Amino acid sequence: MNRVEVNRVLPAVGRSVLVLWFLLPLIPVVLWAISNRWSFPGSVPQEWGFDGVRSALDAGGVDAFVRSTLLALAVAVIATPLGALAARALVNGSVRFPAFVAGVLFAPLALPPFAVALGLDVLVLRSRIPSTVAVIALLTVAAIPYTTYLMRVAFGAYDIGYEEEARTLGASSAMVLRRIRIPLLAPASAGAALLAFLVAWSDYVITLLIGGGRLVTVPILVASFAAGTGNDSVVAALSVAALIPPLLLVLMLARLRRRSAR
Amino acid sequence: MSASTRSFRGTAAVLPAVVLVVVVVGGGLGTVVLQSLGLMPFVGTPELSVDAYSALGGDLWRSVVLTLSIAVVSTALATVIGLAAALTALSGGRTPLVAAGLTVTVPHLIGAAAMALLLADSGMLPRILGMTDGGWPELVGGKWWIAVVAEYAWKESAFVAVVVAGTLATRVAAFDETAATLGAGRWARLRLVTLPLARPALIASAAIAFAYTVGSYEVAHILGRPYPEPLSVMAIRLFTSIDLQTRPQAAAAATIATALTVAVAAVALHYLRRSAAWK
Repeated sequence: MNRVEVNRVLPAVGRSVLVLWFLLPLIPVVLWAISNRWSFPGSVPQEWGFDGVRSALDAGGVDAFVRSTLLALAVAVIATPLGALAARALVNGSVRFPAFVAGVLFAPLALPPFAVALGLDVLVLRSRIPSTVAVIALLTVAAIPYTTYLMRVAFGAYDIGYEEEARTLGASSAMVLRRIRIPLLAPASAGAALLAFLVAWSDYVITLLIGGGRLVTVPILVASFAAGTGNDSVVAALSVAALIPPLLLVLMLARLRRRSAR
Repeated sequence: MSASTRSFRGTAAVLPAVVLVVVVVGGGLGTVVLQSLGLMPFVGTPELSVDAYSALGGDLWRSVVLTLSIAVVSTALATVIGLAAALTALSGGRTPLVAAGLTVTVPHLIGAAAMALLLADSGMLPRILGMTDGGWPELVGGKWWIAVVAEYAWKESAFVAVVVAGTLATRVAAFDETAATLGAGRWARLRLVTLPLARPALIASAAIAFAYTVGSYEVAHILGRPYPEPLSVMAIRLFTSIDLQTRPQAAAAATIATALTVAVAAVALHYLRRSAAWK
């Protein structure tokens, strides 16, 4: 091969290896979810089917799915406005001790959630706060760094000129909010809400420690099946179910971004 | 609006988030530290002692070394692979980045289950490679924690790729063209333009990945072996044990894990401040 060919082939090989790296671990999950029998040492399933899906439904998969969704929505609904409010104040420079405030809001990224959960569990038991409230509070705290960061970038790039122009043309405050501020900030807010949703949707250890086994979310259900043997198809079916909502949200966000870019 | 009203409004706007973080994190970690020092016993009088730490003995240090080793190796792999994926997106091929975006949305617990289905001795990989007669190395639950490291490296490389590509997309093109116009070759542009611009995002995402790995529980619990344990697994085993006497020891392991992540965050902040492109 001459030099030009090497320059063309090498990046293509590199890209394929990277795509394989990111996708390979998901392949057995998808295969297991749609196979009834895949005995060792067969390299492909011997019998395709949805026994795993049926067992997952029988094991309370739907309830867990609804619970996970509600939990993640609650966290997104709380963490997004809190992050947006803080980010706006940080950007327009009206906060005292901004470095300290930013430090506090980003601190959860640098702290092990299980350690916070261990301590909080003791406090929750002693103070009789409902454990679901404590789970939502801790997950919101874990999501705040992400929502604050995304909204800070958005407010930093926000051009106040549009608002001023509208005002000059006689728009009321409500109109400016509805017609200018919300549409301009919608993609960033949706991105922030998506990350907050993901934080809560993906959580296992906080729900386990503080929920105390009563708040059965999808990850809790997956873990209980993964602990046993011979449950591969149930684990895989539940795993695929856990992958779908975030994926749909990412696709919706991408569409929203493309539309607002036009 | 006067300056003081402005500042009052700004402070009021950050207050809900700040109060929530301070109450939850302060309450949680405060309790953990107090418990580990014998100041919040379930029964009896509070008394300052380091008994919980010394009771863990040599196991504590084995756990610290294991936790740090797993975190260092998986973060290093994640950083290199994530950077490579972000750089390929610059040169036109966006498929690796799309695949990384998909991987980012996978919960770690699901990732751990997936790695077990892929790498265990009855997993998909040995079946495809025809190594089904006992020749497959012990990747899951084995001595070298390969499956655990693979899961963290996999998930966090996707995170690094998405974060780094996000910052590069907005800034590199213009600088890169200028450098090319001025006669800089491919290698010089990578070394002098792209990497310095990627540096802050790379440091920040690597530090977040490291802290995440130290604080993560489910991956090591599912794919690891019973002994020695990472700090998180040790803490949660002791915490959920029926013997209430081990609670302070669980708190001690959690305190040490927190100290590790705080130290790494401090180092990362130091390097972030020094890198010029950080804003």
